[in-house]
Amino acid sequence: MDIIESKTWVEWLITIAKFGFCFVPVLYILLLIPMERRGAGFMQDRQGPNRSYIKVPYFGKVRLFGYVQNMCDGTKLFFKEMFAPKGAKKFLYYVAPAIPFAIVFLSPCVIPWFGPMVFEWGGKVVRIAGPIVDSEVGILLLFGFSSLSAYGAVLAGLSSRSKYSYLGSLRTTAMTISYEVCQGLSMMGLLVLAGSFSLTDIVSWQEHHVWGIVAQPVAFFCFLIATIAETGRAPFDVAEGEPELVAGYHTEYGAMQFGLFYMGEYSHICISSLLVATLFLGGYSVPFVTTETIQAHMGGSLAILCWVLAFFALAFLHMIYRYSRKLRASAQSNKMEILQEYKLYKGIGWIAAFVLVCAGIASWMLYNPQVTVVNGVAVNTLGAALGTALIHLLVLLVKSVFFCWVWIWVRWTLPRFRYDHVMHLGWKIILNIAILNLVVTAVVAKLMGGN
Amino acid sequence: MLALIYFIILAVIAVGAACCVFLSKHPLYGGLSLVLTMLSLAGIYGLLGSPFIGVVQIMVYAGAIMMLLVFVISVLNAAKDNRTPMFDGTSIFVLIGVLGLAGLIGFALVLTPLGFDATTLRGSVEMTSSNLFDTAQTGPGYFVLFEVLGLLLLSSMGAAVLMAKKRLGSDASVEAASEEAIAEEKEEK
Repeated sequence: MDIIESKTWVEWLITIAKFGFCFVPVLYILLLIPMERRGAGFMQDRQGPNRSYIKVPYFGKVRLFGYVQNMCDGTKLFFKEMFAPKGAKKFLYYVAPAIPFAIVFLSPCVIPWFGPMVFEWGGKVVRIAGPIVDSEVGILLLFGFSSLSAYGAVLAGLSSRSKYSYLGSLRTTAMTISYEVCQGLSMMGLLVLAGSFSLTDIVSWQEHHVWGIVAQPVAFFCFLIATIAETGRAPFDVAEGEPELVAGYHTEYGAMQFGLFYMGEYSHICISSLLVATLFLGGYSVPFVTTETIQAHMGGSLAILCWVLAFFALAFLHMIYRYSRKLRASAQSNKMEILQEYKLYKGIGWIAAFVLVCAGIASWMLYNPQVTVVNGVAVNTLGAALGTALIHLLVLLVKSVFFCWVWIWVRWTLPRFRYDHVMHLGWKIILNIAILNLVVTAVVAKLMGGN
Repeated sequence: MLALIYFIILAVIAVGAACCVFLSKHPLYGGLSLVLTMLSLAGIYGLLGSPFIGVVQIMVYAGAIMMLLVFVISVLNAAKDNRTPMFDGTSIFVLIGVLGLAGLIGFALVLTPLGFDATTLRGSVEMTSSNLFDTAQTGPGYFVLFEVLGLLLLSSMGAAVLMAKKRLGSDASVEAASEEAIAEEKEEK
């Protein structure tokens, strides 16, 4: 194998660094759990959990808007006793929670996190693909992993020797299979248009034509519904519906075993939202601007990025100032503590806004790398390529966070469906619409002379 | 060299899990071992330069069909938790048959020259689709055959539905048949 000689060390470094993206879904859990709790509070017109705090000496209590609650939960789950009910199949019972959580690390490998980086290094043109594994069957691989992760729930239900778990796992099996079919078929129309199974190709097709949501609006809604059902959350949480099945397939689990199921569910939301953003919302591509334009005006693009972030910092400061004004007028007993905490946020916010504005001006004035063209492909410097990748990554994350919010929004807005309603929706409505959409798309694409 | 190491790892897993299918006493463990075999076979397909076949193996067999098999096993068996004996009277003939077949296949494999080159691409998406569906090449390819197969699966699904209407309680087989038909349809598209 002569792979090693053909690559420069920078290429190796970036290729290895890309494996860090495997941990993105796990990091999303930290974002999603507070988002879900405070979001539920927002929907139901209450506060949500924000009372837990860390005591910093000589300063006071830091509550981080309820983020500390995560650490409390994690600590609680880690230190609880692991147990198995009597008569459970021990091996399967202990292995089952690990399956969905292990799949979580595999799934991000095929998602393109940024456009292909093409840059010059040491007299050589280096090209680095967006996803960790740039496979031509990327999307199918993702679906394969997603169908495998259902084994966790199924085995948990079968091995824990409880009727509720058992019924939950049967329902999970039926629902996973039926909605996977809907998901696959509703996505096929877009694949026909893009003419590829590779997610990189799909995103670049959307970048140069239109976004998937414009080309395939019906498929988008079918796909979104099927994907929400696939994650097994309300309104589709028939597999763990509290009024019927106690907690479904994880009734018998406690401590970190339950925690693994819990984290697996949230990571599944993360991966699904990334997938929806990649397939239907243009993935990493910036709206109305092509990658070539960004690379041609690298300094300006970075400046705009910095200023957008500075705007968010200022919006955060505005929020903090409004809160503190309200708090001073109120008669809350712990308001001095909270105002003390807000002082810290004000300081951080002003420093961040100042630094970001300065960085934006500096990159606008000083950073202006040249783009050379080799064999018809624009080749940048390493810095410009990394800058483009950063912009792409942030755009993708913003889109996926929006879809995470859609998940939470749907969960706390709609009531739970009954089991037969879920099956009816899947097999008789969404599947038919998806097939019809696929046929129409194929005919239109053929007549228009596309792929 | 690297490909050979991966191949050995995957092959050991595949063969070991396949042995577990026979040796496990509870059918649920047998089914799960079969899933493991299929996954490692998918890995070997990918290693042979045909990632499409490997991924379809994961999606259709390990994902959908084995899931249904586990479903059926659990419906029929998990509640009672019965354990079948490993050997009985008929297993002598089965054992002889299996050993004979294994010997024949091993003999054939030893005689066949096997070139193992991980770099050549044998079953990419494009190659597979052009082999199956390209009508412009010599003859209609496998296109007509594929359609007939789809029709066969559809008719079998209809038959299963009719049979299930008469005798209640065999819903799982209907779902299995429809699932296969839909999986075929998906591949077709």
